[in-house]
Parts: sequence; C-alpha cells; structure tokens
Amino acid sequence: MNIFAFITNVLSIGIPFSVSLLLASTGEMFNQRAGIFNLGCEGIMSMGAFLAFMAPHTLQGTALEPWANMLGILAAMLMGGLMGMLFALATVTFRAPQGIAGIGLHMLGWGVAGTLFRFFVGGVTGIPGLKPVFLGMNALAYLAFLLVPASWYILFKTPWGLKVRAVGTYPRAADTMGVNVARTRYQALIAGGVLAGLAGAYLSLGQAKMFADDIVAGRGFIAVALVYFGRWNPFLILGGSLLFSIAQSLQLAIQVQGIAFPYEFAVMLPYVLVILVLAFAGGSTVRGPAELGKPYNREKRV
Amino acid sequence: MKRFVFALVALCLIVGVVAAAPKTKVKIALIVESTVDDKGWCQAMHDAITAVQKKYGSALVEYSYSEKMKPVDAGSAARQYVAKGFDIIICHGAQYKNLVLEMAEEFPKTTFAFGTSGEIGPKNVFTYMPESEETGYVNGIIAGLVTKSNIIGLVGPVDGGDAARYNRGFILGVRAVNPKANVQVAYTGSFGDFVKAAELAHTQIKAGADVLTGSAQQALGALRAVAEYKDKNIWWLGQDTAQLTIPESYKVIAAASYAYEAVVEQLIDKRQAGVLGGEVLPLNFANGGFIYKFNDKVGPVLTADIRKAAEKALADITANKITIPWKDVK
Repeated sequence: MNIFAFITNVLSIGIPFSVSLLLASTGEMFNQRAGIFNLGCEGIMSMGAFLAFMAPHTLQGTALEPWANMLGILAAMLMGGLMGMLFALATVTFRAPQGIAGIGLHMLGWGVAGTLFRFFVGGVTGIPGLKPVFLGMNALAYLAFLLVPASWYILFKTPWGLKVRAVGTYPRAADTMGVNVARTRYQALIAGGVLAGLAGAYLSLGQAKMFADDIVAGRGFIAVALVYFGRWNPFLILGGSLLFSIAQSLQLAIQVQGIAFPYEFAVMLPYVLVILVLAFAGGSTVRGPAELGKPYNREKRV
Repeated sequence: MKRFVFALVALCLIVGVVAAAPKTKVKIALIVESTVDDKGWCQAMHDAITAVQKKYGSALVEYSYSEKMKPVDAGSAARQYVAKGFDIIICHGAQYKNLVLEMAEEFPKTTFAFGTSGEIGPKNVFTYMPESEETGYVNGIIAGLVTKSNIIGLVGPVDGGDAARYNRGFILGVRAVNPKANVQVAYTGSFGDFVKAAELAHTQIKAGADVLTGSAQQALGALRAVAEYKDKNIWWLGQDTAQLTIPESYKVIAAASYAYEAVVEQLIDKRQAGVLGGEVLPLNFANGGFIYKFNDKVGPVLTADIRKAAEKALADITANKITIPWKDVK
C-alpha cells in the first residue's frame, strides 16, 4: 500500500471517530467554564446513546420512521439537558462535591440505560443509523465541526458567554455585578448535558449503529481530559479530539499493516500521546477557570 | 442401519459415561460480569446450566446466578452462596481467578470453577478451557477458500486465553488451504468496545481484507461494520452462533459457539464422584463442547466445495485425525 492511500485511510477513519469526543468535550467545556466539572459526562452519553437508538428501533415500520433518527437525536438532547439539570441541582443548589456527584451521575446514566435496554430490547439489535451525506460523514458530524466556531463565538463574543466565564472565574464579583450565578451555572450545565446527550446519540446512531451497555467505553472520561488538553478553548479541543482519534486509527492501521510492534503498546498510543501533550502544555500561560470545582455560597464569608 | 445402531450405541455410551444423572441434589451458582441474556459470553454458560437443569429436573439440580459482578463485588456473592450450601460455584471469567483461589482456601468443601484458563487449580478448583483453535481452524479453512483479495482481517480483543487460541487456529486453517493469503491480525485491547472493533474492521477492509473474523463480545461491532458494505463481497466468520440470528447474518458464512453443557456435566459428575477440583476441563468438538453452524442463507459464497472442505476438517478434528499446533504460531 502506498503512503498516500495509507494516510487517506487513517484520516478517513479517524476524523469521523473524533465527533463524539468533540461534542462531549465541547459540552464539558461549557460546564467547566462555568466552574463545574461534570464527571457524569459518560453517564449522560450512555443515556443519549440509548434514547437515540430506541427511536429508530421502536419506530421501524411506522409512519414516523423517516423522522425516527431526528426524534432519537432530540430525545437524547432532551435527556442530556435533564441530566445536566439534575447535576446542577446536586452541585449548584445543594452544593454537593462535584467529583462524587459526577461519578454518581455516571453510574446512574450507565445503569439506567443498560437496565432499560435490557427490559425493552435485550440482546443485540442493529439499527440503520445515519446515512453519510458528504465524504463518508453524516450530517451530525458536520454539525459538530460547525459547533466549534459557534461555541467560540458564544463563549467569547456574547453576553451569556461572558457571564459563563465570569461565574467560573470569580462568581462573587459576577454576583455583585448582578449576574445570577446559580442560574448561569444551571444554563451552562444544561447546555453541556445537551451536547453530551448528542455525543451519545452520535455513538449509537452514527458510529456503532447499535446499542450495548458499554458502548461509551470510557469516551466520556476522555472528553473530560480533552477539555484540560484544549485549555478550555473550542478550537484547541477540536485539535485534541482529532489528535486522539487519528492516533487511534493510526495505531489500528499500524497493527493491520503487520508492522512488528507489540499491540499492547499500539493500543496505549493515543492515551500516552494525550498524557504527553498534557504534561508539556503544563507551562501554558492559559489558566483554567479559577473557581473550577468550588461550589459558590453567597452567604459564606471569604 | 448398521451405522445408525452404532451411532445409537455410541450415544448411549457417551450419555451413560459422561452424563450420568446426579445421584443426589446438586446446587450450582453462577457469577458473571455481564448479564445472563447478553447473547454472548455469559449467556452461553447460563444456557448450558439451565439446559442441564432441564435435563435432570430442578429437583436434582438447583441453580442460582448473580449478574454484573465485578471481581471486587463477586466475593460477597460467592460467600452467600457458600452459606446457603451451594456445592458448585462457577465464576465465569478469568478475571475471577484471584477471588476463586482465595475463596477455595477458605471453603475447602465447596467446588469452585473459573475459566477460561488452562491452569491446574487447587484440589477444589476446576478450570475450563475451550480449545478454540479447533473452531478457528475450521473458520480459517473457509476464509482461505473464500478470499479473492488474499487479505483476511482478524479483529482480536486481546492476545490471550481462548481468543489467542482461536486466532492461531484460524491462521493455521487459512494456511492449510491458501498459503498465499495474508491474515492481518490486530487487537482492540478490549472485550467490549464495539465502537473500536468497528473502527478496526473498517481499517482492515480499507487495507484490502474481504473476509473478516473476530472473537469476544466486541466482534459484533466488527460484524456491524462489515454489514455496512452491503453490496460488496466482504464476508464474516463468527465465533458465536448468535450472530446467525441477527439482521447482519447475511454477511456471516458460518459460526461456531461454545456449548458449556460438557463442562457443567463434568463438574457435576466429578463432584459426585468425590473429585472436588484440581483438573482442567477441556471444551472441544470431540466432547461436544463446540457447535458449528453453516449459514445456508448466505448465498453462493458458500459453495459446495468450501462446505465440504470445512466439514472434512470438522470430522478430522472430531476424530483426532489432525492436530492443530497453535502454540507454534507467534
């Protein structure tokens, strides 16, 4: 195989596989910019993947079939928003520790999606999934890439984006200026949840075209890491998602080519790469949201 | 007629020797990491135990199971089973090894079993090992005869246990009929990452593979990826007969499965004969531990000659006429 075909193959497989990471980490970026890190991303993705799968699965052969994928995506986004709201209730209103609450949300989403799937479907069933529209990628993938400049614009050029950044950096000052900290954090968490739900929908509808308990397989946690990797900036997060996915497809392609290299190391490659970049990016002048991870209590003296 | 009588006598002998009904009531517990209806790894063992239970009646075989047991949680479940007087506790997965060894020391009168593993355990621990190089070999024969591009893709989970044996058997099967064919072996590093398995299958296909195979749960992701090439001559050989009953089965030429009944029956027999463990129980074609099914609906790709070659290999393996030196394959 010539080198050009090799590179084309690696890219044509790697780029579509970056989409779910990109969506989830863009959502997580909104959460973290508002000062909340949501480790429950994986759980929201599981629920999103399940609901997006359920719509085409149950509507097969009905009058609604042409709309099934769309309905599935909407259901996934709605559920993502609701789970984001639930997380906001726990971490913003009740000021629960974010790490623990996030792990709780992860287990809730993962467990409920698996149980409902088992109850209503069970076993293994495929769905037709999303059709490619251009260059082998579906419409949702292009939407995800368009979301990158859109998120950048929202975050840095709109009043709402300024509020989000303010409540994540110095909520007390934002509060003094009349910004409703709790409401803004709720909004950011709901937005993040919607995107995580969409990321899950992409996994089941766009990639695997099926659902299984462990379909997300740790991608929600990688998305959280990619936000740090991307220094809370949508364009850098896009770079991180692409780097990770292309490294993934590259290691698979290397294995397939039969190059003598222990497969255990090949499988590790994408993760090692992210750790290396994180380590070297440590000296970056870009600082994360200063109040990340701290609940805000107006009554508390500091 | 002679053949029929011979077969009947042989069957009676097998049933009589291998599978005598339990003399006293036996209580079996199963611990699994996934669920008993996962259409794969865990369900295969669950189905085997329920089949044995059905055969002898629930008055003789009592059965209970615990699902979604991570090795950490499985300990408390196993202890409860011991407390309730269960005789045989099967922890279905090599990940339970340490737990089983610990429990076995604590409860020497209970029989524990885990697998797949080829290790000989303590005197109250059985291990079971599918000799899956046999199913791999038969699948490999078909793959070697079907491929036009002479490139065959293998989507492996990890290079260990029965997956490693399957892969090596598969390579030997391909080599036996088509020495020119190249088997591209690659691993996802996971038993359950369907998405990554699909990605790997796409990579294999783009590199020219026109016949693919794979084992463990993750293989379904790869089969789904193969099914995306609907009108192309790209085919799949399964290591799970459940793949013949799903919509993607039109891509599956044939598939093998484990029939753990052989293991369950041996466990009961040996325990009742006073052997609590210390042996490896094999699963192979000869002891009925494997099922092999051709997919008649797959179309002209499964020619009479190919089928014949595979059937011959099956018969030879069952009759121990050929050995598969899987350990020689790197």
